[in-house]
Amino acid sequence: MAKNMDTIKNQASRQGIIMILGAALLLAATSIIQNYYAHRGLLLEAEERAEKELTISQLRIENITGPVETAVRNTAWMVEMNLSKPDTMFTLLRNLVEINPVLAEAAIGFEANYYPEKGYWYEPVVARRGDDQFEEMVLGSPSHDYFSLEWYAHTSRTGEKIWSEPYYDESAGRTTVVSYTSPVRDSEGKIVAVISADLTMEWLTDLLNDIQPYPNTYGTLESRNGQMLVSPPDNPVPGDAVYYARHIESTGWLMSIFIPRHEIMRNVNRVTWLISLLQLLGLALLALIAMKSVKDQSHLAQVKSNKDKLDNELRIARDIQMSMIPKTFPPFPERKEIDMTAAMVSAKEVGGDLYDFFIRNDKLYFCIGDVSGKGVPAALVMAVTRSLFRSVTAHETNPMRIVSLMNESMSDINDNDMFVTFFCGVLDLNNGHIRYCNAGHNAPFILADSVEELSVMPNLPLGVKAEMVYREQEVKLPAGATLFLYTDGLTEAENVSHELFGEKRAKDLLSCGVSAESNQESIIDGVTAFVGDAERSDDLTLLIIRYMGTEDKKVKERRLVLHNDIQQIPQLAEFILTIAEEKHLSQSLSMSLNLALEEAVTNVILYAYPKGADGLVTIEAILREKSLDFIVSDSGRPFDPTAVPEVDTDKSLDERPIGGLGIHLVRSIMDDVHYKRTDGKNYLSMTKTI
Amino acid sequence: MEIEIKEINSVITVALKGRMDTPASQEVVPEMTALQDKADKTIVLDCSELTYISSSGLRIFLSLRKAAAVKGGEVIIRNINDDIRSVFMMTGFLNLFEIENA
Repeated sequence: MAKNMDTIKNQASRQGIIMILGAALLLAATSIIQNYYAHRGLLLEAEERAEKELTISQLRIENITGPVETAVRNTAWMVEMNLSKPDTMFTLLRNLVEINPVLAEAAIGFEANYYPEKGYWYEPVVARRGDDQFEEMVLGSPSHDYFSLEWYAHTSRTGEKIWSEPYYDESAGRTTVVSYTSPVRDSEGKIVAVISADLTMEWLTDLLNDIQPYPNTYGTLESRNGQMLVSPPDNPVPGDAVYYARHIESTGWLMSIFIPRHEIMRNVNRVTWLISLLQLLGLALLALIAMKSVKDQSHLAQVKSNKDKLDNELRIARDIQMSMIPKTFPPFPERKEIDMTAAMVSAKEVGGDLYDFFIRNDKLYFCIGDVSGKGVPAALVMAVTRSLFRSVTAHETNPMRIVSLMNESMSDINDNDMFVTFFCGVLDLNNGHIRYCNAGHNAPFILADSVEELSVMPNLPLGVKAEMVYREQEVKLPAGATLFLYTDGLTEAENVSHELFGEKRAKDLLSCGVSAESNQESIIDGVTAFVGDAERSDDLTLLIIRYMGTEDKKVKERRLVLHNDIQQIPQLAEFILTIAEEKHLSQSLSMSLNLALEEAVTNVILYAYPKGADGLVTIEAILREKSLDFIVSDSGRPFDPTAVPEVDTDKSLDERPIGGLGIHLVRSIMDDVHYKRTDGKNYLSMTKTI
Repeated sequence: MEIEIKEINSVITVALKGRMDTPASQEVVPEMTALQDKADKTIVLDCSELTYISSSGLRIFLSLRKAAAVKGGEVIIRNINDDIRSVFMMTGFLNLFEIENA
């Protein structure tokens, strides 16, 4: 007897350990996959943001360098025209520096002895000395031998128009500069001088400091030959950085930005830690319960069968599983657009049904699924599926992408040939529009005027084929319509004579235009009565979503179109009366509105269109709870009645003009009057608070 | 709308009945303009049954009042209802006309 007990105990421990190991493996796999996708997504986003910043900075740089290049080339041309007048060079240089505020200095170095009277060297220079202050100098001497400087030497030899390497310049205010140089040719095309414009570097440093797609980002700029135009900061944030670069062709510069990797991954790391912690807690709980059950088993081994123990474990697994799905109903009492409920009726043995939902940005994300197979493996796959749904939807909004990504992950880890039928949808609470993607799940019902099956493409369940291409569909739920999702535990419920409940019975029990809860009760009561004393073999899951429409039903619109015939005015009176009755307005308010509208409309009828020509005037009324808007529009000649000067009602009889009373009445009666002219039409909008 | 013009002891009484909207005003323009010739007398505009008036009607009243000022006559407005009174207030007509209410 004792030996038998030990065997049972050992068996139980082994099963417990296997279960925990299995769960740990699956959870670890989920974490790795989820982490991988999150990292990949964030890196892609970082790259996109970096590229955008680089493009903006490149444009900002070229916005400075481009005009300098053009100005230097133009000046070179002017110099060529005036080669015979060596003293005009100062005027040309001064113009160049003056109109380009980023230039510190400009110079023209002439070849040796070009002007014999000027000597061996001749280099006129104009340098900026503060705002609107310029200094003219002639440089070139044995101690300032420009022939040996790079800007002169290179361009006089090659004739290239080019940005120089950065160098330290004494005459340009003792700072680092880059020069743009252009050759000057005489009438025979021979290079006789080189013109150079010096650009200071401070603005570049400022510009690169502006690049901050993430905190602690820094940028560098290298010249053609790798000299630093803008160096990295002295104390960059330690750690690994992701690096993006852009080659600026016009200047030959290489712009790079460095984003610390931990800044990009800041959010995902926090979430990963949290999920890992929760998973560890879950595992610990599972282990504890398993150990306890092993202990219990050893005490009760004499009376408990192996099956009981298994049932116990299944129940534990189920409890954990049930804790993962939303169970508070109504789930969103503050959202009047939606009325929803869900239920999971468990069979004795666990299946792997699941549902989940949440609202983000006015969209309801929901899913329902059924894992093939039974017992702990199914429950664990269900847990994995639910975690995947949450992690994938964290950065995906499109049901097709959600299903495809989940399928890829599940196919990768699916060694046991288990699969999940799954239906995922995203309902826009503002308009009832649903985008959905089905993965082998049974078609939900849609309850609008009658109970119909929603058209779904079958597709393959999740976890069957990694490269499966899923297709998305869409449907619009009118206000008041219901989407009824279920698992096959409903249609395959059996009674004692092994008859199936079937779709027909389900459809007959459902009613259009009633609450989600009322439909749920009908179905559950119906199935319970049908099954009777038969043993239930499968879980039954329902997810019922009723779209109530957006709240603002109180706004109504009315419209009247009249010809430009004054005899139609009584129709307007009737139109206003109908509105006044509908909004229960007082008689005097009704009369005032009538008067203001008559004045506005009469104005159009009499003056908007040429004499004898047919024309229309449209009156739109928007009836709100606390105000009325009227918009009078016509396609006649442009006329702004609000531009008519106010009538002075205090003037004496002699001075009072006969006209102008109409628009004055409109202004006096209405709280707000606006005119606009768009698309060849006059619009006069008037608002009255009621 | 309807108008009825009576002259008793050189007092002309014009009874205006119904809605004096733009088309109605256009209809009565000839009769009302003709009255301007008699604007040296006392003209009473009886508004007891006038339910509504728009700017085109007000213009007719104002023209008549101006003619009376030139010719030394008088224009009296009798028995306007509260709604029309408020229109007179908005347009400053209360200062221009002599108003008699029963």
